[in-house]
Amino acid sequence: MPKSARTRNLIILSSVGTVLVVLFIVVRLYAGRGVVQPIAYNHRVHIENAGMQCTDCHVHAKDMASATVPSLEVCQNCHSAEPVSKSPEELKVLKYVADKKEIPWIRIYEVPEHVYFSHRRHVIGGKLECEACHGNMNEQTQPVTTAFLPVTMENCMNCHRQRKVSNDCLACHR
Amino acid sequence: MPRWAMVIDLDKCTGCGACMAACKMENNVAIVDSKEAQAGRALFWMDMITTYEGEYPTVAAKRMPKPCFQCDNPPCTKVCPVRATYRNNEGLVAQIYHRCIGCRYCMAACPFTTKVFNWYEPQWLEGANKCFNPDVSVRAVGVVEKCSFCAHRLQHVKEVADLEKRPLQDGEYVPACSEICPADAISFGDLENKDSAVYKLSRSYRASRVMEDLGVEPKVYYLSKRVS
Repeated sequence: MPKSARTRNLIILSSVGTVLVVLFIVVRLYAGRGVVQPIAYNHRVHIENAGMQCTDCHVHAKDMASATVPSLEVCQNCHSAEPVSKSPEELKVLKYVADKKEIPWIRIYEVPEHVYFSHRRHVIGGKLECEACHGNMNEQTQPVTTAFLPVTMENCMNCHRQRKVSNDCLACHR
Repeated sequence: MPRWAMVIDLDKCTGCGACMAACKMENNVAIVDSKEAQAGRALFWMDMITTYEGEYPTVAAKRMPKPCFQCDNPPCTKVCPVRATYRNNEGLVAQIYHRCIGCRYCMAACPFTTKVFNWYEPQWLEGANKCFNPDVSVRAVGVVEKCSFCAHRLQHVKEVADLEKRPLQDGEYVPACSEICPADAISFGDLENKDSAVYKLSRSYRASRVMEDLGVEPKVYYLSKRVS
């Protein structure tokens, strides 16, 4: 192969590689930013102004495997006919309530299908605060688009190691 | 630490096959088409071995349900290159499907041929994919699977017992085959608990294990008065 052709190939290969690496970094940085929740839900307003607890909306965090994303029925308890605030986002909720349509929340925290995860076991048995995995929602004024603690085996196992709970594969995998 | 074990009473077993059916439903075991099944690729976690004795017209069928024997000294775990199968401290031989690379060394090592391989994309009866057991993952093509002693049930009962701050009771954790058996031929429990039914039955004069001379220490005991 003539030398010039080889250099040309090298340049093409390295530029493709660089583009791929940059793309990968951009994707990692912006992971989740593309998520647009149907309503710009403000956790802080609900916790501080309305004085609500996590389990008021995520009703099964203490007694079931899944904490559940609130259904329209839960929102309806407060937002039924008249708006309680001046927020334009609340009008969207009222529209969902009027149309009797569930709000299509996008789930951020999802445990893979081959893993058994129970909120009840962690919250009641393990005495974990919600903040340990979900961060301080008191300060969250924007809708949630990324996981505070990404659901990875590394994160699970680190916490299990620190708290001296079983790291046996069968404790979580199924 | 408990040591989970099973006792199958062959004198009680009628060979009805309810355990096989229950196991398939409980563990989302895929259905293989009949041609492939004939070629020995049927997937069974709980298999039924039938042998015939005598000449017509006096033929007797001997039926023997065969789950994974969950050996205390398992040969399969020693050959796994990725630790997808291992014996945990409760004596369960686990199979972690997402770690398995499908090399099938463990299948070759198992003297009891209890491990099965997913040769094809799993097939389901129409509508069956809507009623999977959510507690058990659906295996992908290219991984080895086997009876787990319904370990997902242990996860559940442990959680309940922990919340109620009490130890597990004998008979609280039972696999689907043992639960369904209409003849009560399959007992299940902890060998370390001297009050458990399994402990007593495993010491019966009728008890024996398959290929005991191999030294793999299976934890499935068979009870039979017949000398085979």
